[in-house]
Amino acid sequence: MKLQWLTRAAWIFLALLALLSLVAPWLPIADYRAMDPDARLQAPQWTSAPMLGTDAQGRDMLARLLWGARISLFVGLFGTLVAMLVGVPYGALAGYRGGRWDRTMMRLADAMESIPMVVFVLFLMSILQEYRAELAQVGFGRLQLFLVAIGLLFWLPTARVARAEALRIRQLPYVMAARSAGMRGWPLLRRHILPNMMPALQVMLLLTLPRVILMEAFLSFLGLGVEPPAVSWGGLASDGLAAMNPLVGSAWLMLLPSGALALTLLALQRVGASAKD
Amino acid sequence: MTKRFAKRIISLLISILLVHAVAFLMVRSTRGGPFDEERALSPQVRLALEQRYGLDDPLPLQYLRAVGGLLRGDFGPSLRYRDTQVSELLADALPISLALGGGALLLALWIGIPVGLLAASKRHPLGAGVAATCSTLLLAIPNFVIAGVVVALFSFELGWLPPAGFGQLRHLLLPWLCLALPLAAQIALLVRARTTETLQSAAVRSAIAQGLAPAVLLKRYVLRPSLTPVLAFLGPATAALLTGSLVIEQVFALPGLGTFFVQAALARDYTLALGVTVVYTALLGSCTLIADLLMAKLDPRVEALS
Repeated sequence: MKLQWLTRAAWIFLALLALLSLVAPWLPIADYRAMDPDARLQAPQWTSAPMLGTDAQGRDMLARLLWGARISLFVGLFGTLVAMLVGVPYGALAGYRGGRWDRTMMRLADAMESIPMVVFVLFLMSILQEYRAELAQVGFGRLQLFLVAIGLLFWLPTARVARAEALRIRQLPYVMAARSAGMRGWPLLRRHILPNMMPALQVMLLLTLPRVILMEAFLSFLGLGVEPPAVSWGGLASDGLAAMNPLVGSAWLMLLPSGALALTLLALQRVGASAKD
Repeated sequence: MTKRFAKRIISLLISILLVHAVAFLMVRSTRGGPFDEERALSPQVRLALEQRYGLDDPLPLQYLRAVGGLLRGDFGPSLRYRDTQVSELLADALPISLALGGGALLLALWIGIPVGLLAASKRHPLGAGVAATCSTLLLAIPNFVIAGVVVALFSFELGWLPPAGFGQLRHLLLPWLCLALPLAAQIALLVRARTTETLQSAAVRSAIAQGLAPAVLLKRYVLRPSLTPVLAFLGPATAALLTGSLVIEQVFALPGLGTFFVQAALARDYTLALGVTVVYTALLGSCTLIADLLMAKLDPRVEALS
């Protein structure tokens, strides 16, 4: 109860952030790619021109943060959607079919869980680098590859939730009624089972989002995230970490993007937790 | 019990074989290879190299040879570090990663459990609030940022510990801390949730009504049920440690498995990457297995259920 104002604040923050990152191209801010050798590593001025300072190449940090928000939020949202697109049908089918199907499919899921998926996906992505030219021809850049990787990494928890929900809904009277009236298979799943999973899946979406955004930051740090000149918060934070040294003391380069990242993740966690209750 | 244990070991071996097979196929089917450098090799040199590494044999033969090597713990020569076997590199790197991961896991338990208990207590509302907030905060920060802040504080500002390197115990202190903190936060939240539940249970209520001292109550009635989710978490925790160590080893320049893996993935040293992937799979699988066994020991109902 006492956290209600916090939840509301989190919603407002997320909405503002989404709006700002949507309209970033039309905002009166500097070009996020424009380098300026005369204005390198300027500390934040807060009220005048480089409001949030500049990075090691003299690029405006405010612009970079806003453009980074675009990528981070985009990857988070679509990565989560990809994970759900894989996980929900899988889990729903296992839960709906039950019996041997359920056992086999869930045993497969268990086996996948015992594989270090992050390592496996990194391995996959490094090998796919060999086919960059061909993949680019069919419109498959680093970003799309990344979304596939996210789908591979995060579909399992979603599949488990979907399965549990399908198992629960399958036994409800109206589903039995529909079955006894002769409704089977895909129409039954689509009309009666999937729509009723939605509340649980929405919570799952909110809980997966921060994890996907964090994973993007992780991959960017390892040099497997989005490619320059595109920027993401994770990439900015890792640039900031690289530029940090005790003589210049340019801590803001790391603190600003990681602060933005942390705030967003906290807001998402808050919203997700309140949706779960 | 023994039968289930044997079954689990067999399924672990199968998943190792599967991972190896998929990784092997992926490596062999890539067009680009370690011999594609800026300067084109003459056909004779390329043929000689491929013969030396056995790359010109038919695929099934190569696979069988790779499986034979896997059984002996031999992954063939590294493609980048010339004249070095992958198994030698792994043998050098594995102890470092084990020391890093094991230490971090112990530290995470050592921090996380008391903090979780504190966060669940009603007697210290302020401490509980701070503990819960800190845990939630820590989970929202990428671990390389934690590493950056910790290095800035302890190495640059205070000058207590070295920012990177390897060799002495003090080189491991900061990596342990950075790797353990997010995990400790997760453990604390788990312990808090379960302890809050346990404190409301009928067993604990009647124990309080009997007038037991808080210390006895905690030890006999609260701790044991509150720790089962922590045990169940050990498997995922190992996975998180593996992932985290990829970053932490980079930041602190530790020559462990994670560093080798990332370098191998970026430098197309596929035999090395494959070896690390297989070792990681074996590590994760055995840790999950041990965690399950421990859990069955602590909570007999788990055994009865499965």
